[in-house]
Amino acid sequence: MADSLDFESLVARFYEPLYQFAFSLTRDEADACDLVQQSFCIWANKGHQLRDASKVKTWLFTTLHREFLVVRRKQTRFSHVDLDTAEEELPSVPPATVNRHDTAQVLAALSRLDEIYQAPVALFYLQDWSYNEIAASLDVPLGTVKSRLARGLGRLHELLTVNKMEPPNQINL
Amino acid sequence: MNRDEAKNILLLYRHGTADADDPQIAEALVLAKLDPELARWLEAHCARQLVLREKFRQITAPIGLKEQIISEQAAQQRMNYWRQKFALAAMAALVLLMAFAAFWLSPRGHDDTLAIYQNRMVGVALRGYTMDLLTNNSEPIRAYLAQNHAPADFVLPAALKKTALAGCAVEGWQGAKVSMICFRTGKPLAPGGQSDLWLFVVDRASVRGLPAGSLPQFSKVNRLITATWTEGDRLYLLGTEGDEQMLKQYL
Repeated sequence: MADSLDFESLVARFYEPLYQFAFSLTRDEADACDLVQQSFCIWANKGHQLRDASKVKTWLFTTLHREFLVVRRKQTRFSHVDLDTAEEELPSVPPATVNRHDTAQVLAALSRLDEIYQAPVALFYLQDWSYNEIAASLDVPLGTVKSRLARGLGRLHELLTVNKMEPPNQINL
Repeated sequence: MNRDEAKNILLLYRHGTADADDPQIAEALVLAKLDPELARWLEAHCARQLVLREKFRQITAPIGLKEQIISEQAAQQRMNYWRQKFALAAMAALVLLMAFAAFWLSPRGHDDTLAIYQNRMVGVALRGYTMDLLTNNSEPIRAYLAQNHAPADFVLPAALKKTALAGCAVEGWQGAKVSMICFRTGKPLAPGGQSDLWLFVVDRASVRGLPAGSLPQFSKVNRLITATWTEGDRLYLLGTEGDEQMLKQYL
């Protein structure tokens, strides 16, 4: 496996989408770079264990996400929100409102989501992956991913409405 | 499926992707074609999704990240290469060390034969030795040897009993004690020499390849003529410079 995909071409193909994912989670350039680098480093050491070449991309995203969680949990203890909490009403956010926000604000809103919603929502927008692929890369069941996406997207849209958008606290790894 | 349920489902819909293949989304999309209000909501939703998608995709990796990852990996590989080399070298050195240790410290299978015993003891006699006890009396010699757990109950041939004693020493052989009893034949001694006839006595079980029978076997070992025989559970080795006839005078 490692022989069929040489390291340099693998980096050239995937460093950009991985960085986008890492940055959307950390909102910090240095932390995002570290995560991407660490993911490729893990690939260099363990990538040969992967038999299916078509799963390289998913493998890299999974690895990056795990590394993100490991680092983040070392620094912060998060409160967990039960998935079975009451349904939230779907916000009605006009496109023009969304368009007024720049990427930093969108990512700030993303960072306000509960941890479990951030990665699925980021992947939802960054990659044209199917829900199955998102589920595989995050190592959670398909139903869970759909549920997290529905709630995460709803909450993100809600945060992006003008009235609810406040300057976020920077959360770095 | 009603309108609200369809909205919930279509919230996950990304226009232009394979999302439309999902059965629930496909059903909700059909409903949107039939419901103008839902269709308007969907149009706005798709536009919003498109904008958000663009926002996310505006994230660009810093210049040089790719090169940094590649160069650091190359450096890591070089470090791993040398680390592996060092580990291999260290392992090889350890194996060699263990081999040497095993060679020197462990009992060697073929080192306990009679020929090697003879060579070793003759070497002791020729290359210089220090007697632990200098005496011409056999009793102190036996007492000293017994005290040092070396064979002390040796039986001397009649002729040897009459030969002048010089002293004794305790030598080692494969973990066993060897009694070295030194005699003087009366011939002039070599400069610095203290004796010229030596009897070595050891437990016969510590030497392999002993000849059958108890009659003395003569052989030339280095410069010495030797006679080897067994009696009881002892192996005797008598050696001196000269020839077989001369040695037989002491047996």
